Amino acid sequence: MARVEYDDVTKQFLGQQDRAAVDHLTLDVADGELLVLLGPSGCGKTTALRMLAGLEYPDSGDIRIDRRSVVGLEPKDRDVALVFQSYALYPHMSARDNIGYPLKVKRMTQAERDRRVARVAEMLSLGTLLDRRPARLSGGEQQRVALARAIVREPRVFLMDEPLSNLDAKLRTHTRTELKALQRQLATTTIFVTHDQAEAMTLADRIAVLDRGRLLQLGTPDELYNRPVSLFVAQFIGSPPMNILAAQVRDGALVAEGVWRLPLRRRVDAADVSVGIRPEAIALSEPASDAQPAEVLVSEPLGSETIVNVKLGNALVKVRAAPHVRPDAGATVHLRADPARMTLFDTKTGAALP
Amino acid sequence: MTSRAETAGRQAVTRRREGTWIEAVLAHLVFAAVIVFFLAPFVWLVTAAFDADAQAYIRWPSQLTLDNFARVFTEHDFGRALGNSALVAGLTMLLDVVAVSLAGYSLSRMDLRFKSAITYGVLLLQTMPLSATMVPIYGLARAVGLRNSYLGLILIHAAIELPFLIWLMKGFFDSVPRYLEEAAWLDGRSKLRALVEVVLPVARNGIGVVAGLSFLAAWAEVLMVIILVDRQDMFTVPLAFYQVLRTRGGYTEVQYGMVAAMGVLYLVPVMVIFFATRRMMVRGLLSSARGL
Ligand SMILES: Nc1ncnc2c1ncn2[C@@H]1O[C@H](COP(=O)(O)OP(=O)(O)O)[C@@H](O)[C@H]1O
Ligand SMILES: [Mg+2]
Repeated sequence: MARVEYDDVTKQFLGQQDRAAVDHLTLDVADGELLVLLGPSGCGKTTALRMLAGLEYPDSGDIRIDRRSVVGLEPKDRDVALVFQSYALYPHMSARDNIGYPLKVKRMTQAERDRRVARVAEMLSLGTLLDRRPARLSGGEQQRVALARAIVREPRVFLMDEPLSNLDAKLRTHTRTELKALQRQLATTTIFVTHDQAEAMTLADRIAVLDRGRLLQLGTPDELYNRPVSLFVAQFIGSPPMNILAAQVRDGALVAEGVWRLPLRRRVDAADVSVGIRPEAIALSEPASDAQPAEVLVSEPLGSETIVNVKLGNALVKVRAAPHVRPDAGATVHLRADPARMTLFDTKTGAALP
Repeated sequence: MTSRAETAGRQAVTRRREGTWIEAVLAHLVFAAVIVFFLAPFVWLVTAAFDADAQAYIRWPSQLTLDNFARVFTEHDFGRALGNSALVAGLTMLLDVVAVSLAGYSLSRMDLRFKSAITYGVLLLQTMPLSATMVPIYGLARAVGLRNSYLGLILIHAAIELPFLIWLMKGFFDSVPRYLEEAAWLDGRSKLRALVEVVLPVARNGIGVVAGLSFLAAWAEVLMVIILVDRQDMFTVPLAFYQVLRTRGGYTEVQYGMVAAMGVLYLVPVMVIFFATRRMMVRGLLSSARGL
């Protein structure tokens, strides 16, 4: 049982004048949960993680594991395991000794150590690699050794700082799946850092989106995808990203990009808003009075689907269509949006309108 | 396009080589002269040490013999001097390795106030000529009873090389990524044990260089031994060496064979250490230069 709480944590590095690396972060990670910290590079993900590990010291706020503050504890006394982006394997030790190192530290007997290392090696199919030094392992193998070293200790919390980012695309998706299965099996509280929204969506129980050190939204992947609280979150999550169109409210209806009339089901006070529509919430239809004609710029066939890019006023709109739909460039298609799946944002503040 | 540029480049190189072969010959002659100049003393040492009737000039030994080496030990108790030197240099090395590891690590890792002032201060210390502090060192050693004492020699020898070696080692530590020791901390190690078990092994080239240089410096040092030691049985190699030259010199016949044999014995550990650590040294000195 390990519950992790960030309580109003702030950290500003020397030389950061105007903003903090982590800015009043409050976050509650449930026991056994896999929480993903997601955000662009430099948003403070690593700093948040390192403060929990004891490698950075917060300026203010408290960090608790199982309701006990860990802020005053040395890293060695926190019982958390961190998988570094660069893996941080000890270059002078074999894979076996790397994995066994935390057990050696715990003064476990050689026999017990061997037994546990063998079990974890089996779990991660490292069997034949155990006698090699890190320099003689591929990136993917090093990554698995680093993971094994974290798992073998059975720590209270796993921390992972972009552990998949040095792998090639195929290995990355594969390892992602394995990692998720492994985390389910071990049921150890895990905080996973990434800037890759697809990774976050597939892995997470809940995602915390950070920007400039601030927590923007915390929720399940579905919540973030369907009910983003701001333009930033809306555009960060989903691929291709949500279409954001400038719109005006005119006599009870929305007019997007000056041309596309969209039904409005509620009252909106602001005159200028942005309307966000996911590519799959737009359908290509037969010409009809309520369908908006638009010119096709290019169709991108992806095998399982086609992304049709159309021009609407000055904006580019992406529409997710069936794989066999391949309108030619220059052709005219007709768009129809699902009114239930539109999100309105205040253009000035970026906040989603309720 | 690239291939044409390459061809042109190659032609230029060839032309330059052809056009200046005289220069090349001259350059080789100059190098040869320099080499002869520097090697001559060593050639003399080696030939004279094995010569039954060694002279003050280089020649092929009149009669090959090991007699000179034997007499060095029987007539001059050179074994004692070798032992003294080995003891002093060995312990100096140990002390330096420990001190330099800790100090270099601190300068590399810790956020100290005035860190750059301290770092440059250390370098300034190294540039001070030792002879300038000879008198105070003598006085201090006398006051605290460290004359004619191995401990005194070890402390002073360790201190002499400390500033330079700290700088050197700081460079090595700078090139060891921080995340390695952080990983060790998270694996449950204290900072000191993480240093010993992870950082030092990764920086072992640096430790090798520090060990080698501190041993050699203490092994070769003369000035401090002269001012700190006057008991014959505590003489280190250079002093014993010097004494033979002096007492047997003057109007009596200089025992060139024995002097040369001592010189050879004096140099052997130097060569051994150099060849044992030369790879580490090159790698180490390069990486520490990069770290600046
Ligand atoms: N040791 C440090 N010293 C100064 N600034 C730092 C340090 N570490 C991180 N920062 C700054 O803090 C911000 C957050 O960094 P980081 O947590 O590494 O972001 P992320 O992991 O999300 O990419 C960045 O602006 C970065 O430049
Ligand atoms: Mg980071």
